[in-house]
Amino acid sequence: MKKSHIVGILVIAVAIAAIISTYGSSSTYANFAEAKKSDKELHVVGHLDKAKDMHYDPIKDANYFSFYVKDNKGEECKVVFFGTKPQDFERSEQIVLTGAMVGTEFHASKILMKCPSKYTDNSAEMKEFKGTKASI
Amino acid sequence: MDIQYVGEHLLPGKLGQFFIILAFGMSLLSTIAYYFQTSNDKNDLSWRQIARWSFRIHTVALIGIIAALFFIIYNHYFEYNYAYSHSSRSLPTHYMISCFWEGQEGSFLLWAFWQLVFGNVLIRFAKDWEDSVMTIVGLSQVFILSMLLGVEVFGYRIGSSPFILLRDAMQGAPIFQDPQYLVKYIQDGRGLNPLLQNYWMVIHPPTLFFGFASMVVPFAYAMAGLWTKRLKEWVKPALPYALVAVMVLGTGIIMGAFWAYEALNFGGFWAWDPVENASLIPWLTMISAIHVLVVYKNTGHSYFTALFLVLISFILVLYASFLTRSGILGETSVHAFTDLGMSGQLVIYVLVFLALSTWLIVKNWKQLPITEKDEHIYSREFWMFIGALVMTLSCLQVIATTSIPVYNKLFNGNVAPPVDPVGFYNQWQMPFAVIVALISAFAQYLKYKKTDSVKFWINTGVSLLMSALVTAVVVYYTLLGGLKLVFGENYHNDNPFNWMFVILIYACVFSVITNAKILGEAIKGKFKLTGSAVAHMGFALMLIGATIAASQKRVISINTSGFDYGKEFDSKNKRENVLLWKGESMKMDKYLVTYTGDTTEGVNTYYRVNYKVVDESNKVVENFDLNPLGQINPTMGLVASPDTRHYLTHDIYTHVSSVPKREEDAAAEGHDGHAEDEGYNPPSTYKVSVGDTINFDEGKVVVRGINKDVHLKDMTINQGDIAVGLTLAVIGNSDRKETIVEPVYLIKNRSQFTLSKKMEEFGLKFKFTKIIPDENKFELVMLKKPGKQKDYVIMKAIVFPYINFLWGGTIIMVIGFAFSISRRLKELKDAKSKDQTEKMKDVVL
Repeated sequence: MKKSHIVGILVIAVAIAAIISTYGSSSTYANFAEAKKSDKELHVVGHLDKAKDMHYDPIKDANYFSFYVKDNKGEECKVVFFGTKPQDFERSEQIVLTGAMVGTEFHASKILMKCPSKYTDNSAEMKEFKGTKASI
Repeated sequence: MDIQYVGEHLLPGKLGQFFIILAFGMSLLSTIAYYFQTSNDKNDLSWRQIARWSFRIHTVALIGIIAALFFIIYNHYFEYNYAYSHSSRSLPTHYMISCFWEGQEGSFLLWAFWQLVFGNVLIRFAKDWEDSVMTIVGLSQVFILSMLLGVEVFGYRIGSSPFILLRDAMQGAPIFQDPQYLVKYIQDGRGLNPLLQNYWMVIHPPTLFFGFASMVVPFAYAMAGLWTKRLKEWVKPALPYALVAVMVLGTGIIMGAFWAYEALNFGGFWAWDPVENASLIPWLTMISAIHVLVVYKNTGHSYFTALFLVLISFILVLYASFLTRSGILGETSVHAFTDLGMSGQLVIYVLVFLALSTWLIVKNWKQLPITEKDEHIYSREFWMFIGALVMTLSCLQVIATTSIPVYNKLFNGNVAPPVDPVGFYNQWQMPFAVIVALISAFAQYLKYKKTDSVKFWINTGVSLLMSALVTAVVVYYTLLGGLKLVFGENYHNDNPFNWMFVILIYACVFSVITNAKILGEAIKGKFKLTGSAVAHMGFALMLIGATIAASQKRVISINTSGFDYGKEFDSKNKRENVLLWKGESMKMDKYLVTYTGDTTEGVNTYYRVNYKVVDESNKVVENFDLNPLGQINPTMGLVASPDTRHYLTHDIYTHVSSVPKREEDAAAEGHDGHAEDEGYNPPSTYKVSVGDTINFDEGKVVVRGINKDVHLKDMTINQGDIAVGLTLAVIGNSDRKETIVEPVYLIKNRSQFTLSKKMEEFGLKFKFTKIIPDENKFELVMLKKPGKQKDYVIMKAIVFPYINFLWGGTIIMVIGFAFSISRRLKELKDAKSKDQTEKMKDVVL
């Protein structure tokens, strides 16, 4: 067997491993019901429940922000974000949360929010906020 | 009837649109003419004359487009959508250039401009390659210019013109019913994204697009080689262009990283964001391509790999522009462009070039000079090939992960990208980096064809040993206790020790030492390897810098005075933002940090944060101010840009993460003579009904009901008088305690009074000012004392150790590329003069 064949086989093996691992460690967009069953971090898409309390008191703790999100199935859950409250959070239209359930709360490590643009209706703006990465 | 609009300037737009059509038409004509010149009789040069002249006219027209667009932006003609969306009156002139790349149209224009530059260079210098190469470059130019057309053909809109009028872009909006709309409503543009108002943003995109555009040249040479059956000859002239492409694109990428580090607040220089990846992908394949091209040139091996990598690099440039411009990245990236409805056109662009190159390969498959010989294992070409392959694999991993949204679109999937992308990519890319760094070192000890293995092992062994010693020192100072130099004596490392970092640093040190040795020899006389030695050293240093700065960066603004949320939270979350009261110092690591005040310049507010280091004898050792920027932007919320103190060994990076709201008109209203309301923030008026809630920072106010039976202490209520109380429950967020407050609305002797009530705990004051019977609502005025709320700022501070390795390494790498380019150009020249001498000999003999 030629060396180039061995190299070729190795390359293909690594390539397959890379692709499998990509899809192995990728998650799916989930809802709270699924998040409750899983202990992994995942993405939840939903929108802010404006009727409920948002809590952010920077003077007591600048790194604690909590709010309620309704996911696409309509289920509601309290979300805690260990970072500062993003400006204009109230205006967000859609939120993509990255995080995991801790007890009855969803602890988000990242918030990606979509705001309606002030000027045109069809364009929306995306904003991302990273909180503290949970390091165990 | 058409409305006659007042105040519009339609001429520059019409002129610009004319230039677009002209440039498009001329580039198409030039491409067709070059095509016929290539495939027709070589003795008849009339097609070439047509092609050259039409390309020159297209050059003038394209410059005309740029001039027209700049004229519109410069003169604030907001009747044009582009000027309205991307500029404003307050924009300084030097940032007007940045407007060109905030929008898709402008960035296509930039790309077309660089391709034009390359086109003219090729017409001048490509000699017998001109016709075939320019056909390919011209075709690419046709596609890019078609993105700017903005005309409808059979109901499909082709391209998006930068000269479209605002009233056409927002059709049907009611303000355009008014012929005076421009004078009345559109006084200013929406302005440029404040993050782009940074001097790095003036030079980063042109550099990046220069790199992207230059990728077309080696691609065109390879295609031309296949087309005109010069299957081997294209390699030599393509090589210098390929080197230019990686040098410039590499510089552009790292400038983007530096901009991200200097102007964005995500706290780093690289986040594996899809948009960043999109620029990295073609760079990696082109670097691989260059190595394999050199292998082929020297040994005749690996022809197909070289060809494939050159072709795929340009196709990946097109794929990258599809990713960033089609809006497909939507949910995964923040700084992709918004969709302009051109994804179909972009897909066609990618597919046409993919199909053309595949077709040419298939057509020439039998003639391709593919060797069946096996390379020797002690040969440079074998390891250069392996190195290139590993790099391509690393690229493949980046493509696979970045393309997740594309799979979702194609197969209707619901796959989300990895939850922790940075960790995921790093875990994959580090082993690749180790292998590449190792090969970039020991391959330098190998010769082409065959090397004396004993000599190789001696050289490599010595270098490996030396590297081990150096690595030990480097690791101590960058990963272990030696970090005290940067973080101060009290530093203790709580990062888990990662062997992978040590291995990576070892591989990189090995590469630096080996290449330094090669460089030493090069200076003594073997000049040839100067470029590669320098570039490899730079690359290895860059990797060291990136590894250390990213892995050992340390957030020093850890909040220790935080509210207690229980043990579980504390163990899992470091609180990375701190609140600084104005004038009160806080100890952060070895620094005494004080927020001393702020200055506002236009829309920007700079928060002055003072850092001090005091030694045991109370002497100030270090003292400096940082001025991170915070801007409350009407469209983007808080735009925070960091300020960084640079030292040789480390950087201190600070940005504001939240600032207290400022009522803009506070000063104006403050002295209106409302003596009783003095000491309060300006009042807010609410229309409420029973059950409504008003939130404030520390709690909420719930409207409980109406009390019609009010007893007032020193007032009697007579017949015909009305006294109504509004029952409010004030609930604190922290203790959930309810306090009832009841402001009263009173009509006595036909006069209205309001009896305000205070709620001292939160510094609140309520006034019940009106009853609105037909809406069944009440007007309530709420005032709040700023009281204990002194000025504060919430900020985050990070120390990046040894980040200068990263920037320094990049600069060294770019210098290395420059050496290589000059070497390859010299080779070309030498080869040509040799040809000529031989021809002369033929003639003479």
